[in-house]
Amino acid sequence: MTEDAPTIIRLDDVSFKYADAVEPALDHVSLEIPEGGFVGVIGPSGAGKSTLAALLSGAIPHHYRGTLFGSTLVDGRDTCEVTLTDISRVVGSVAQDIDSQMVASAVEDEMLFGLENFGVPHDEIEARVTGALEACGVLDLRGREIATLSGGQKQKVAIAAILALRPRVLVLDEPTAALDPASSTAVFETLRDLNAEGVTVIVVEQKVALLTAYCDSVVVLSEGRVAFDGTPREVFSHADELRALGVDSPRVARVSNSLAQHGVMPPAPPCLSVEEAEALVADLVRGRTGRGADIAPFRAGSRHIPAAAARTPGAEPVVSFRDVCFAYPGSGACVTDLSFDVYPGELVGVIGQNGAGKTTLTKLLNGLLRPSSGSIRVAGLDMRDTPTSTVAAHVSTLFQNPDRQICKDTVLEEVAFGLELTGTPADEARERARAVAERFGLPLDEAPFSLSRGQRQMVALASVVVMEPEVILLDEPTSGLDYRECMTVMETVREMADRGCAVVMVCHDMEVVSDFAERLVVMADGRILGQGETPEVFADVELMGRARVEPPQIIALSTVLARDVSREFAGVSQVSGIVDLVKELVSHD
Amino acid sequence: MINIIDYVPGQTLLHRLNPVSKLALAAAIIAATFLADSYAMLLGLLALTFALAAYAGVAGRLAPLLKVLVPLAVVMLALQLVFVRTGAPIWGIVTTDGLVTGSKVCLRLLGVALPLVLVLMVTKLTDLANACVEVLHVPYRYAFTFTTALRFVPVFSQEMNAIMEAQTARGVQYDTKNPFKKLQLMLPLCVPLLVSSVGRTDATALAAEQRGFYLRTRESSYKRYPLAARDWLALACCVALIALGVAF
Repeated sequence: MTEDAPTIIRLDDVSFKYADAVEPALDHVSLEIPEGGFVGVIGPSGAGKSTLAALLSGAIPHHYRGTLFGSTLVDGRDTCEVTLTDISRVVGSVAQDIDSQMVASAVEDEMLFGLENFGVPHDEIEARVTGALEACGVLDLRGREIATLSGGQKQKVAIAAILALRPRVLVLDEPTAALDPASSTAVFETLRDLNAEGVTVIVVEQKVALLTAYCDSVVVLSEGRVAFDGTPREVFSHADELRALGVDSPRVARVSNSLAQHGVMPPAPPCLSVEEAEALVADLVRGRTGRGADIAPFRAGSRHIPAAAARTPGAEPVVSFRDVCFAYPGSGACVTDLSFDVYPGELVGVIGQNGAGKTTLTKLLNGLLRPSSGSIRVAGLDMRDTPTSTVAAHVSTLFQNPDRQICKDTVLEEVAFGLELTGTPADEARERARAVAERFGLPLDEAPFSLSRGQRQMVALASVVVMEPEVILLDEPTSGLDYRECMTVMETVREMADRGCAVVMVCHDMEVVSDFAERLVVMADGRILGQGETPEVFADVELMGRARVEPPQIIALSTVLARDVSREFAGVSQVSGIVDLVKELVSHD
Repeated sequence: MINIIDYVPGQTLLHRLNPVSKLALAAAIIAATFLADSYAMLLGLLALTFALAAYAGVAGRLAPLLKVLVPLAVVMLALQLVFVRTGAPIWGIVTTDGLVTGSKVCLRLLGVALPLVLVLMVTKLTDLANACVEVLHVPYRYAFTFTTALRFVPVFSQEMNAIMEAQTARGVQYDTKNPFKKLQLMLPLCVPLLVSSVGRTDATALAAEQRGFYLRTRESSYKRYPLAARDWLALACCVALIALGVAF
């Protein structure tokens, strides 16, 4: 992107309020998107990110009702004066819910739909379809039915179908929300290739590490306004302000910002990649102490390595899988020989790619599936012959999508529902539900479906907490949540663990896993590849490679630092740990 | 999850027929089923449907559908037995007329449901829609509505499954043996299902419009659906079937 690139989309003092809303979703937003740019949009939930995407793609004002002020110029034309169809000739848009974006049941028909409609000459269509599928690396999927594709494949097909129309701008709303880290990276690689060919890419995304690695500018939205707009390096130098808004920063940027704050080095632009951070730390350490300085270990007292499981010796595991196998009838998917234990008060993370069998494991644990062989004991129950509704009193599950869980008219009824189902008297259930809902600051008498996505997840969380179960099961607890909501959920879960509840968590966000899980179970192809303490598992490069899991940034950083700079870095998994250690090393002489 | 109306790929003559001819064949079998009044004809039409399904290699897929239809047919039979009071009594409340009308209602029920399902099994939905637009001049928006509705059936049933799983995990007793209790427990789930489906339909409409839905004309389709000799032959069969239905 060059300074003098022409502007393809210009927002001039735009405000938008949805018809049924009180507050405007966008509030005096001005933006210029240069042609050929790669722009990331980030912000806490409710900041107006999706509204901005809808505005850029013409869905506002043409599809959503509301009041719009200011002007949006796409390729020089005001979006209010041209039809949505004409805007679509310039801007291709990929929706957040990929299933509803699909208009056909086969990949090929999905590709053809737009081409046919826009009247692309029939002799050109073949080349366009092949070209677009190839650009997204999914040419081999051409003959497949969409229902048989994995999440990552679907996402790429959706992008390919838009790409075949040769839009000059591509707008994507959280394209990686449902994907594992490896597929997310693959989607961004595709976007980078397209961008190199001149397509302007605008992507709404929660994963900061991806944004910094791929975008050349980042827009931070907060409460409908643009809070920051600049290169990733400019934006993430405001880590503290971002945090106050509820936006995470890449962990390596936090390391360099924090080092500057502690006076270890003069203020400087933040690091954006593991390599940069390694170079920085290596310079700092070597500059003062000389290479290979031997320093007495002080790891034991450091508060950033999660304390080992607070488990009393000889305690009985509350969850115990022994050689568990299960196969779905009529398909090849199965899990084989799962054996692991979870003790009261432990927080165990289950990681692995999409399709590794993690969800099957959770369903075996909460009784939705029965093992075909092997034994599962949960809270003293033999899972082979206990009805699921009985298990529910002992195991509480927080599902990825709270909307599947919510079925009552008010928040209070919703939170009390689980208790009533498992036989708690109505009065007592209400009382306990009221206490928990108030603790979470939820409006007791509102209809759950009128709340925001983040708040609905809180309602679901409250109905898990109120059960006071022996085991909590979390299935992607943080997807769709912003940084602040994510931390609230995880802190609550950790409190539950501290009170003796065992927590099993399936999660794609490796930062969350490394921050909260004490122990990890690594899965691939329906098998458990390995398990152990979190830092050790993440530092096991070979295991991570086999499971196709990318370790979180800080672990990657501490692993290379341990190799190249000082053994002391081995196993450090928190920003503060790295910073403390650098401080120690630097001031040692 | 296998859905009963999933397309089953194949290269048989039935697969290669123009979707419109297939639809006509199904319609002819259905019309004949309504017109026919003899057991021989009704059973013959049913046998024809099964023979076509077996030829196209989808007979196995009809079995799960029969599991639903046969009990329904039995209920119909029972109702006819109770309500038809003419004819000579055979045993208890059962009369000869009741038995005859009842059994014919059963056969007709199967004879009407199966041919349509068969068509959907050997035809891609998009082909069906595009062919109807091109050959029958059906406005595209109706064809699109129809295909989208059918496409959403498995999507919604998956959604319903996910919702039921979530509710079961909370302790709702869907594992109960009592079907009435189960139904009563399922009713509240309509709310989350409705909420998600309304949102989803709206998003699909937007996605279609952003890909030039309103520009589409009868000539837009990349694939063409001309009527070939085999299609005219099939249409002739349709006329013959209806004639047979009237005759017997």
